Amino acid sequence: MNWWRRLLKRSEMERHLDAELRFHFDGLVADNIRAGMSEPEARRAARLEFGGVEQVKEECREARGTQWVDDLWRDLRFAFRWLRKSPGYSLAVIAILALGIGANTAIFSVLDGVVLAPLPYREPDRLVAVALYLRAFKHAIYLSYPDFLDWQRDARSFEQIAAFTPPEGFDVASFYAPEHVTGLEVSSNFLSTLGVKLALGRDFSVAEDRYHGEPVVIISHRLWQVQFGGSRAAVGKSIIMNGVAYTVIGMLQPGFRFGNQQADVYTPIGQGDPLYRNDRTAHDILCIARLKPDVSLAQARAEMDTVQEHIDQLNPATERGLGAYVDSLKHYMVGDAGGTLLLLLGAVGLVLLIACANVVNLSLARSAVRTREFAVRLALGASRVQVVRLLVTESVVLSLIGGALGLVVARWGLKVMLTAVPGSLPRTENIGVNIPVLFFTLGVSMAVGIAFGLLPALRTSDTDLQAGLKEGSRGLAGGHQWAQNVLVVAQIALTFVLLIGGSLLFRTIHNLWAVNPGFDTQNVITFQVGLSPSVIQTPFSTRIAFQQLTQRIREIPGVEAADITNMVPLGQNDNSGPFWVGSHQPASMAEIPRALYYPIGPDFLRTMEVPLLRGRYLTREDNVDSEVAVLIDSLLARTYFPNRDPVGQTITVPHWGAVRNIAARIVGVAGHVDHYGLDGRTGEKPEIYYSFYQLPDDAVPLFRNQIWLAVRTPLGASTIMPEIKNAVYGADSGQPIYNVHTIEELVSGSMASRRLPMILLSAFAGLALLLACVGLYGVISYSVAQRVQEIGIRMALGAQPGSVRNMILRQGMQLALIGVAIGIGAALGLTRLLASLLFGVQPRDPLVFITVAGLLTVVALLACYLPARRATRINPLDALRWE
Amino acid sequence: MTQPKSDLPQGTLDLLILKVVTLGPIHGYAIAQRIQQISREVLQVQQGSLYPALHRLENRGFLAAEWKDSETGRQAKFYRLTAKGQTELKSETESWKQLAKAVRLILESSEANR
Repeated sequence: MNWWRRLLKRSEMERHLDAELRFHFDGLVADNIRAGMSEPEARRAARLEFGGVEQVKEECREARGTQWVDDLWRDLRFAFRWLRKSPGYSLAVIAILALGIGANTAIFSVLDGVVLAPLPYREPDRLVAVALYLRAFKHAIYLSYPDFLDWQRDARSFEQIAAFTPPEGFDVASFYAPEHVTGLEVSSNFLSTLGVKLALGRDFSVAEDRYHGEPVVIISHRLWQVQFGGSRAAVGKSIIMNGVAYTVIGMLQPGFRFGNQQADVYTPIGQGDPLYRNDRTAHDILCIARLKPDVSLAQARAEMDTVQEHIDQLNPATERGLGAYVDSLKHYMVGDAGGTLLLLLGAVGLVLLIACANVVNLSLARSAVRTREFAVRLALGASRVQVVRLLVTESVVLSLIGGALGLVVARWGLKVMLTAVPGSLPRTENIGVNIPVLFFTLGVSMAVGIAFGLLPALRTSDTDLQAGLKEGSRGLAGGHQWAQNVLVVAQIALTFVLLIGGSLLFRTIHNLWAVNPGFDTQNVITFQVGLSPSVIQTPFSTRIAFQQLTQRIREIPGVEAADITNMVPLGQNDNSGPFWVGSHQPASMAEIPRALYYPIGPDFLRTMEVPLLRGRYLTREDNVDSEVAVLIDSLLARTYFPNRDPVGQTITVPHWGAVRNIAARIVGVAGHVDHYGLDGRTGEKPEIYYSFYQLPDDAVPLFRNQIWLAVRTPLGASTIMPEIKNAVYGADSGQPIYNVHTIEELVSGSMASRRLPMILLSAFAGLALLLACVGLYGVISYSVAQRVQEIGIRMALGAQPGSVRNMILRQGMQLALIGVAIGIGAALGLTRLLASLLFGVQPRDPLVFITVAGLLTVVALLACYLPARRATRINPLDALRWE
Repeated sequence: MTQPKSDLPQGTLDLLILKVVTLGPIHGYAIAQRIQQISREVLQVQQGSLYPALHRLENRGFLAAEWKDSETGRQAKFYRLTAKGQTELKSETESWKQLAKAVRLILESSEANR
């Protein structure tokens, strides 16, 4: 029989054991009678010889290997009974642990989903991102399509290398639901490089991945459901995107994603405009590749450098100074989120430590009350191990309940967190309470339960039996008080560290809001419009359509200014490219400066209130028929025209549609706009503004799907957007409006990577502060209760209530100040971990340290005040009689 | 009770039980009696060690048990040796003999008598 089968037949086993021993006993009695004893005598002798029946039974059970299960069962039953009898203590512990474990579970599930979980592709460890690398500026840049073709031919480290474009907008015209979707242009081997299977249909053929190939599209599972109701007959049907009919050849699996934006349509990259696809200087694509099984990342890097060097030699004019960038695809996608999340996991771990300290304090106080119970148990023959085991069982039961509730807390907290700070993390779709998270929670709960049970248990069971039996409640007071003091000091120190972290990030966000981004962030709404295919058939009609749209919006009452733009500041879009001053081209690519090219409507800078420093704004007269006019920003003016007036000078723009190296006249200088971020660390580039209406015919289709409108109005978005919709739909109801944001939202979104840690650290610090206060309050109250007699005597001898109160306060403040002092030391060492997140404040900012120390001390004083006041209310007569 | 009684060394009880059980299915009380008789009352087996030992041996598969009518007509738990138990008995007997021989050699050697 297996031990678990014995377990199931436990009652039968018990009956048999009993019968077997009784048989033996009766045998002894019978023999004794035969030997001449009377029956009572015989029984007595047999009993003497037999010894303790229960003891024998227990040893038999132990011999069978089922004893521990019985013990556990008994301990559990006892634990539940005891916990039910002290609901206040149990609920307090469960609540504290649910918060602590819940917060840890939430952060761990984010870390797991974002950083630890593998990418959802076949053998994701072998996937890498490949790009060009600007050695001089030390950052990766997009590559050109010819570069990709060269790499595909020359690189030996990869099984496959595939190309894709950054996300683009597509307007899907449909009878059912016209919508704006995001799409990627990908090379024909893109999906097979990822190792992704289609749900239905087929992948692109190589023939389709060329200019003039059949317009074909692979659509997402979502779009398949929306546009075709998930019908299998959808393969071979066509959908109209941006006015062109594409044949649907395949559908992706429901969960497929690439990158952080959910793309709905995938088209062959080779069908793109040859104007760009054949141009080595048009850097507008990225690559992914699958490493061969035996090739390491370092080997691939070395090989790609050699490959790129060779390409460089063949194309000295365009490739000079460029290296290759190879990094794991996961790191490329997740970036630095891992560091921030580890930091947060560390912080939330501190919260759990603080929570544990509270629970240990509670159970120390409880076990002082239970001293007599344990003394009785030990006196009756329980071993120390048994008593400790019982206590640990109790605490594990509590922590497991706490952990289970913690899962609920975590799910709820995650939901709040992810909606509060959208866009702060990559791969959020992957975050959830799953198997690894459940194991983490179970592990943490068990560890916490054992830790907080073991500490008081070891102390309690190590007790002087006689003292314990004589006087239950006060036998251990002194020793406990010391342990409690240490715990409270630790709590306050840890809380201080968390408060400092939260405050530094709070200051950072505050400072970022105070940054002048170069334009007025108030009262501007931005959104995108998909113009209906009928009005954008020619470049000429497209220009007219945008002018009319802008005009209609300007006429809405309450609109002060409005115009189109190809990008919005802090909107996380990019359109940078090379330029040079005058007409003389620098010798190599590496020396060519790069700027952010901003195609705008003439009124955009006025709408954003970007200040004009010299010259003039663009006007409607800057059109296809006139000389190309540009505004440069102050950064470009300062850097490239250090001692002269740039207005009237020319710069060369290498790409102007099909035209190469066109000279553009500088007509004005505008203030610099923080386009990439407010902290100035994200590689701000000089800016060049030109009019969308001046773009040559062949360039218009490339830009028309990325048009934003910026509207300055004192009215709120909810008031003005219906009006704007009327104006837009009034012209053509098939024109979707999407991505509606106020500029303030974009500003706030640009801080998302810091707001998440700030909000979380502040929340953790608040929780820690609360827990530490409860801890301090508990310890001081407990000590007052222990000293009732002493205080009574003091007062009977004439001590004033004030001096008694001060005595108690002094005791509490001593602990608080020691905690703060240790906290300062720890924080001085730890805050540099935050340095990369901070802006405008030093990790050891004295003001923050002083403020937090003061705040914590005041809060601690309040926590001590209540028990101190209670001490002054002690009636000396009652106190002296108090047992 | 004039005979001196000696306690069994650790692990020896198992060996004795296995040996006694080879004679045929037998219940716990009889095992105790038999050991006592054969050893001429020198060895007395305490119930406190006999039954845990029986259960341990059963648990390890050296003994098999069965409930049957005893000589008095009452149901009792009868133990018998399994094949595995037989092997165990053999090897344990062997090592016991070797141990006994070694102990005797030392106790009776002239050097140790000096």
